[in-house]
Amino acid sequence: MGETPVRIGELIATRDPDEVLISVGLGSCIGLAMIDRARGIAGLAHVMLPQSPNGAGPLPGRYADHAVPTLLDRMVALGASRAAIEVGMAGGAQMFGGSSSIEVGKRNAEAVTSALGEARLRIKASATGGEKGRTVKVLAAQGVMIVREVASEEVVLIGDLVGAAR
Amino acid sequence: MANYTEQQLDALGELANIGSGTACTALAQMLGRPVDIKVPKVVALPLADAIDAVGAAEEPRTAVKLDIFGDLDGTVLLVFPLDDAATLCGMLGVEPDSEVGLSALGEIGNILGTSYVNALGQMIGMEVEPHPPITTTDMLGAIVSTVLLERDEVGDTALLLDSAMFVEGEQCELSFLLVPSANGVADLLGRLGM
Repeated sequence: MGETPVRIGELIATRDPDEVLISVGLGSCIGLAMIDRARGIAGLAHVMLPQSPNGAGPLPGRYADHAVPTLLDRMVALGASRAAIEVGMAGGAQMFGGSSSIEVGKRNAEAVTSALGEARLRIKASATGGEKGRTVKVLAAQGVMIVREVASEEVVLIGDLVGAAR
Repeated sequence: MANYTEQQLDALGELANIGSGTACTALAQMLGRPVDIKVPKVVALPLADAIDAVGAAEEPRTAVKLDIFGDLDGTVLLVFPLDDAATLCGMLGVEPDSEVGLSALGEIGNILGTSYVNALGQMIGMEVEPHPPITTTDMLGAIVSTVLLERDEVGDTALLLDSAMFVEGEQCELSFLLVPSANGVADLLGRLGM
């Protein structure tokens, strides 16, 4: 099964049952996943900063305030039911032991959370903060979100990988 | 952030060459054996491409980060493959994966980073000082993206100067990244008269 990279600032929604969306090496960035399990629709945004300084721009995944509504719109456009969407987020680490005074990771997590609140979406599961980088995978067909920290095993954050195995 | 001309990129590459040459000499003195450098890469690309250009994002790497301040704001980042970091510790006679090992790598980062930025400073008349080193082991993409985003002034193009050096006769390679802030790039080019 091929993996489709969702790189920094990018955002992808899909209903292709074979598609696996992946954001590799999230540090202070957030991997924001939306999953409509019943309809086999899923999306992933690789959010890099809290607020857009001047409108949406060409990369709507870049900023939390645009990434959340844009990903939701793309999901709905593919046929997802708003009420059925499960949301997961991972990342927002304080790399280098939180040495930086501006705490991008923490502010990213807060901005995504607040934008989800405005869109009236509840967070089903999250793995944010800490000091370790993460990789996030979203399996559209199975409705599964997986997170892996550096030098650790994969952890299923949303869904059931065993039950969904084909 | 604007696009850069060929001449500007060449000039930045030359700066990196001089900086890493000086750092390479410092490392050779510290280890008592010859160290070679490769021609530095000047990466001026959209953010996602710049992160990819540094290397495979999920590979674990040990990194030493020095923030620099003064006339030039930015970050110097030393990046080692884990085995090569262990080899380097071995050459210094310290246990890798120990507190002493990490602190030795931090000190190497400090010495190399300081000689690199001092060489730059002397060449273009800037006073540059490093903050103390911070060492971490993590996914390369997480390290590089966080450094690029830390300044919270991200443009469409990321600029970084990537130099590689390796210890002769050993599997010990490290890469050396200078990530100037957006204003820092403009200042550097201004000082070079470009």
